[in-house]
Amino acid sequence: MDPRVALLKEFYRGLPKDRVKLETQEHGFAFLEGLLSGGVVLEYGELTLSGLLHKYKLAQVPETRMDEFLLSHVEKACNVCLYFGDRANETFCFNLDNNQQGAGSATIPVMESAVRVLRETLVGAGCEPLIVASGRGYHAWCRLDGAVANERLYDLMLRAGVITVAALHRQGYDHHRVKFNFYPDPRTRDVVSLRLFGSLHAKNKVFSHVLAGDRLLDEAASWEYFAGHLRDKTLSVARFDAAHDALLKSSGF
Amino acid sequence: MKTIAIDLDDTLNDFTATLRSTDFARDETHALSEDVFQDYLAKVRAGLPSVDGLLSTEYSFFRYKIHQQCYERARARADGADFLRRLRQAGWRIVICTQRDLRRAQDCTRSWLRDNAIPFDHLFMAGNKIVFCKVWGIEHLVDDHEFNIVHGSRYGVNVYYPATGRPAGEPAAPGAARPFSTFDEIMPWIQG
Repeated sequence: MDPRVALLKEFYRGLPKDRVKLETQEHGFAFLEGLLSGGVVLEYGELTLSGLLHKYKLAQVPETRMDEFLLSHVEKACNVCLYFGDRANETFCFNLDNNQQGAGSATIPVMESAVRVLRETLVGAGCEPLIVASGRGYHAWCRLDGAVANERLYDLMLRAGVITVAALHRQGYDHHRVKFNFYPDPRTRDVVSLRLFGSLHAKNKVFSHVLAGDRLLDEAASWEYFAGHLRDKTLSVARFDAAHDALLKSSGF
Repeated sequence: MKTIAIDLDDTLNDFTATLRSTDFARDETHALSEDVFQDYLAKVRAGLPSVDGLLSTEYSFFRYKIHQQCYERARARADGADFLRRLRQAGWRIVICTQRDLRRAQDCTRSWLRDNAIPFDHLFMAGNKIVFCKVWGIEHLVDDHEFNIVHGSRYGVNVYYPATGRPAGEPAAPGAARPFSTFDEIMPWIQG
């Protein structure tokens, strides 16, 4: 197995692997027939407005097919986006996206401030995230050594998000320019998926570079950082509980 | 295998009539005052987009919730459902092609199709259905959207549209989109 695939499987081990959103330029009924072989089910497909980018939400994916998809993901032939577990998960993620229409492909200043404040907030609570660039925003992943109920994961993320938004407001930014989504969200856990680290963004074709400090690492260094984060920064559930308690106090609600 | 793509809203159902005639009730999940609720509802009924330069807003969230109620309540055209059942019997591949956000609307869309006994093979969302049909090799599209009616023929996609307020029958020009009064009229046009 490609060592990058092994890393992905380990980092995202708690996420369901029997369903996936696949992003690819491939299309047509012959391709779809191959995609659905082995009992895979297409829930729906999508042709986006970005070139010929197609997205396929697939269910009943056998493990061997998921391994193939993950290999294609690290080889940049497609993107694998995974959904979160129904009740509890071992990873959670903040998705910070540009909420501004027609702002081009550049990252807006408020986004840079948002991701910096979010990181400081999480680190201050003892919960260091892995931050990767994604399109016009960032994904901030946290990994646990055991499953935590979705409601508790969401509550921690909501509090960290509120603290971040309040800080942006104090700094004079319009926080509406940044869209905060939390994964898993108990209301939408089977509706939205998140692209895994290690591939090219579907629209801008840029690798998911790791943000270390204030700079984006190159691809090789990003993989190295990813492996290091998996090894050294996985949170114990007890540590998560302590971080949650800290954010309960500092968020003020 | 012969393939046809078909739209849902205002083609297979009466979405706009449902949107305009339904008495939508405000509840606590809207988290809006009565005045804001009524203002937003009037804008949704008029088909207005968000105007504040943001992608995701309180209004866009509200609009989706109203639209979803319409997806669930809209009535199917009996002749449309029958048309698709006959195509299925004749071995056609049927692709439901919609601009709905299927991330959120997939479940209610599938339920509605099932409840109305409308057969289909695949469910797709596409912002540009002409491009979708072109790249997937689909020759026939049933759809009410003006863009598709105007541009289909240029890209080799035969478009058929409900003749609401327009004369049904022959296309305005050879190869142009054809308006229909009942789905039965489409059947001879696509045999060939």
